[in-house]
Amino acid sequence: MEIPFIVNARKDTGLFNSKVGIWLFLASEVTLFGGLFSGYLFLRLYADYPWPERALPVLPGLINTFILIGSSVTVVFAWAALKMREWAKFQIYMGITLVCAFLFLGLKAVEYNAKLHHQAVRLTGDGSVQDFGYLEGHVHYAKLVDDKLVEVTKEEKKENDKKDDPEHIFAANKIIFKATELSFVLKRPAHEAYVKEILEQAGEDHTIILVDDYRVLDVDELHEGQKSRVELLKGERALVIKGGEALSIEILDDMEDAFLDARAHDKDIRTEFSRASWRWVRDEKGIKDIGNLVITKDYWKERMAEDAAKIAPLMLIDSGIKSAPGSVTFKIDPPLTLVMDPSDIPKITEDPTLGDTIRFRDDTTVKGKLLPSPMLMGIDAIDFRHTAMRAEIEGIDPLDAIKESWILTHTDSHGGNDLKKAWDCHMAWLKIETKRLLDKSDKKGRKKGDELVPTENDKYRINWDQMVAYEKLKYDPEAVVAAIEDKTLYHTSLFDLSGFAGANHTAHHFPHVEIPREKVGFTSTFTPKWNTYYAIYFTITGLHGLHVIGGIVVLGYYMFFGRKMYDSNPEWLANRVEIGGLFWHFVDLVWIFLFPILYLM
Amino acid sequence: MSADSQDHHDDHHHVLPFWKKYIFSTDHKTIGIQYGLAAGAFLLFGFFLMIVMRWSIAYPHEPLPSYLSWIFTDGWKGRWLEDGKVTGETYNMFGAMHGTIMVFLGVVPLGFAAFGNYVTPLQIGAPDMAFPKLNMASFWVYLVGGLVMCMSFFMESGAAKSGWTNYSPLAGYADRQIVNQLLAGQTQWLIGLVLLITSSLLGAVNFITTIIQLRAKGLTWMRLPFFVWAMLVTGFLLLLAFPPLEAAGIMQLMDRLTGSSFFMPTGLYSASDNVALDISGSGSPLLYQHLFWFLGHPEVYVLLLPALACVAEIIPCNTRKPLWGYKPMVWAVIVLGFLSFVVWAHHMYLTGMGPVISTFFQTTTVLISVPSVILLTSMIISLWGGSIRFTMPMIWAAAFLPMFGIGGLTGLPLAFNLADLHLHDTYYVIGHFHYVVAPGILFGLFAGIYHWYPKLTGRFMDNFLGHLHFWPTLVCMNLLFFPMLVQGMAGFHRRWYNGGEGYIEKSTDGVNVFGLTVAEHISLNEVMTGAAIALALFQLPFLINMFISYFWGKKVTSDNPWDATTLEWATPTPPGHGNFTFDIAVYRGPYEYSRPDHDKDYFPQWEEPKHATPDDEPSEKPEKETPEA
Repeated sequence: MEIPFIVNARKDTGLFNSKVGIWLFLASEVTLFGGLFSGYLFLRLYADYPWPERALPVLPGLINTFILIGSSVTVVFAWAALKMREWAKFQIYMGITLVCAFLFLGLKAVEYNAKLHHQAVRLTGDGSVQDFGYLEGHVHYAKLVDDKLVEVTKEEKKENDKKDDPEHIFAANKIIFKATELSFVLKRPAHEAYVKEILEQAGEDHTIILVDDYRVLDVDELHEGQKSRVELLKGERALVIKGGEALSIEILDDMEDAFLDARAHDKDIRTEFSRASWRWVRDEKGIKDIGNLVITKDYWKERMAEDAAKIAPLMLIDSGIKSAPGSVTFKIDPPLTLVMDPSDIPKITEDPTLGDTIRFRDDTTVKGKLLPSPMLMGIDAIDFRHTAMRAEIEGIDPLDAIKESWILTHTDSHGGNDLKKAWDCHMAWLKIETKRLLDKSDKKGRKKGDELVPTENDKYRINWDQMVAYEKLKYDPEAVVAAIEDKTLYHTSLFDLSGFAGANHTAHHFPHVEIPREKVGFTSTFTPKWNTYYAIYFTITGLHGLHVIGGIVVLGYYMFFGRKMYDSNPEWLANRVEIGGLFWHFVDLVWIFLFPILYLM
Repeated sequence: MSADSQDHHDDHHHVLPFWKKYIFSTDHKTIGIQYGLAAGAFLLFGFFLMIVMRWSIAYPHEPLPSYLSWIFTDGWKGRWLEDGKVTGETYNMFGAMHGTIMVFLGVVPLGFAAFGNYVTPLQIGAPDMAFPKLNMASFWVYLVGGLVMCMSFFMESGAAKSGWTNYSPLAGYADRQIVNQLLAGQTQWLIGLVLLITSSLLGAVNFITTIIQLRAKGLTWMRLPFFVWAMLVTGFLLLLAFPPLEAAGIMQLMDRLTGSSFFMPTGLYSASDNVALDISGSGSPLLYQHLFWFLGHPEVYVLLLPALACVAEIIPCNTRKPLWGYKPMVWAVIVLGFLSFVVWAHHMYLTGMGPVISTFFQTTTVLISVPSVILLTSMIISLWGGSIRFTMPMIWAAAFLPMFGIGGLTGLPLAFNLADLHLHDTYYVIGHFHYVVAPGILFGLFAGIYHWYPKLTGRFMDNFLGHLHFWPTLVCMNLLFFPMLVQGMAGFHRRWYNGGEGYIEKSTDGVNVFGLTVAEHISLNEVMTGAAIALALFQLPFLINMFISYFWGKKVTSDNPWDATTLEWATPTPPGHGNFTFDIAVYRGPYEYSRPDHDKDYFPQWEEPKHATPDDEPSEKPEKETPEA
């Protein structure tokens, strides 16, 4: 059996099968990306924060655009070469196409990488609006010395990594907690990740042991009915884990199994009673209105009370002894200083009398004392656009609100002063810039109310290149004014390569800032988590990148393994390359749409 | 097929190993059967979930009876049942998965993929699908996707429990306590969904290409059986409507795995956990609903059209007269396809989109009833004056018409946003779409199974068991779904896991809609639950019938046992690899029954006319000749 029209076109449609197939597939791709693009529109139109405009370096994107357009041309040449049965030429053009594809992915990787290492913080505060100032930069490394954060330089960290017995050095964005007691909820048995982490941090200096015996009744013994439940609970057969056992995943697993088992068995008993009651209603009472209506009748309420009385001695719920405890507690001795990621801890409760608790995502709670857990960051950009936006909603002058932001008011802790001075430099620059734009408007004869003004971006944001410029002048506002007059103020140009991977933190001395944990409203690297712009950016470009990889696999297969088919049926191979080329054009087209909306607009 | 390919034919006669013939097969017929069996299994599972839910609705205080609970292990009962009773959380989980399984894993694969795969290439005279390997890939991707979804029942988080629509932020927050999000039921639901969509896309591309490219000689567009037209339109719906949901699925997956806020608005706070969420916010829950329903509505027609297509084949064959209004039906189904893309937001009247948008979607929704009515009316008129043979398939097809009619007509009040304000999210909606899907679509598909079973196996299905299946099913379906319409108009909410018992004490004396008290309305729950259990019971004759008829059923005496006209009956029984044993050519339209100029009361598409002109002018024959009755 052979499928017709694989190589040659069907006469009435004028197409071979896979060409119909690829056009249909591309139509579905259009609606796939259409869904994502309409997602972009929705998110941007309804954003309740200042949408980051032109936040990405344009040049790499522009280069990528031309790379893709170029490769779309060469893939056509490759197909044409096949049509003319010139194998060597086909391989050359296809090779160029693939090189372009890899170049594209390489540039993309650099762009992604810069974002994964760049941290942003949204501040909470008690200014006239709820602060919303953003600090951007790199998180520094730190270690614990006597439960205090001490900053560690990059070099020290590198050396430490080489050691056989390295110290615990971490990025300084952690919750630091002196833990004395751990409680696990057995109904949620996926504790492994946290148990591992805690045991690793505890090392051999700390012991973590089970406080009480974990005892569970065997239901068969209960059915024998010889002894009371209390007696049974004292017996050795009820014991699952003896108090004093050290914490491990295995004993937690054992207790979890015992818990669920007991729960199911206990319920069997109650279920039996419940079923018997319903039989009684149906058979003895002969009630027509079974079901829901029964529960409102008095005889049913009496029966339920009777049953409860019968169940109680078996279950001893009222006496407070549960057959299988739902949670277990471990003591840590001596108290352990835990260093945990903030995203793993949805809830921190501070209580000066009873002690602090933190709760992990899996409902595990830790008791102890919360230690100061500041973020240590080198700041390469300050952004007050969100503050300004909030201030305008509240009817407050944005600049006044900004002045009250935590960033500009805390000048005491280290680095804070540099931020204040940087902002002063920015204000000096803004004043001159505003005047320059006004003069320009005058020259062009613009009417009043239609003058050129600085953008929100200009006004309320110090970008990393401006930060570099101010740093070079030692954050001196007067020097900035002078530099503008001399036209020596540092500027990055479109073709400046240093901006590809963002600010260079080893070459420049950016302000070091210590942000207290309670001032951190929300923090993330520049990943999808940071805001919906980066979310849609990573999703669209990521999906596009997957398409590029798919294209590389298919086109690469034709180039390296197509020879056999070329010898037997070159036209079929040409068809396949044509299909691959159409797909490649589509991938190019998607980029042409996403480049302006994500990079330029 | 060209002469060239005929030469190759002999090379392929070597015996394929078992796994290649039955498991990793590229033959469209085997794949169709695989789809059918897998979908059937999923349907039964989804049905089981529903019975557990119905038990909880009718008897919220009574533990599950042992004939429902024996299937659960002790550990599972320990985690998900409260003293043997269904909890709200478990009910939600079963509800979400019932919907998902029935729609994505049951009815669509059975209608579009199973029937489409088996019948479409045969009806167009093709040796196989255009891309056989792709066809195999779509089946396996579907199966893996389905298993990934269902596997989550056995995990710590349980399966997804945010409704089959999976609306964010509810769905986005569910299962957040799971540290490894890849092992959360909600995440697996999304991964399964993305796999299912991928499978549907591959299938849709394959179907459309096959229909465009592989039609036999002489099979022009207006000679295509209606079944093929319906499959073509369904293919386009899947092709163009599913990807936006895939985009939504990917975005929700990002929300879960990377912590983004596509669908999570600013300032989300969980009252039960007493925490503010660690997210950026500014996402749009409405965006999710738009993307979801952009698929969701065409999906309704993806469910419906295959069943309608089966019925449209069975009616002419069993009334022995042409399908009335074939051309209007073809145009209607095309228009239906187009319109189904612009009605999605009628599912969202209560989201506050604004009156202008609501009015637009209300208008398009009312418009789409025009082609729907054309389709149904044409089929009803087709019965007029026919000499109806009440074979098993015809009985199902005949029952499809009024049942689907009720489903369609009860939809009208929901199309108007004023009426929808009252009916939204009540049992009325549940009753409406279950009338469409269960006694409607499933009846159509049952008809299809009874109709094509002889072609698959060479044996008829047993008539007695068939009747034992049909009549109780018809009665139970109506006892199950009609009370829903009544309850819904009385305002019963669709998500009450205890059947609305909270209303009893407060309003026993108040007379509600139709002169019934709330308590009397609630007692309807028991009728429905009884009907559901009986319905399950009466599917046994069908399963037994399928099985025993395969071995002991009455054998067919020819390759065309129903005396039908379309090309699938020109193949050997069952058709071998490559389907046709002779070069197939088509001489006439699909439903040439009881032609006065022809000896027999049917004139198959492939039969050469006596006056051998390919266009076969009927007028050439003298009118005097009396046709065989």
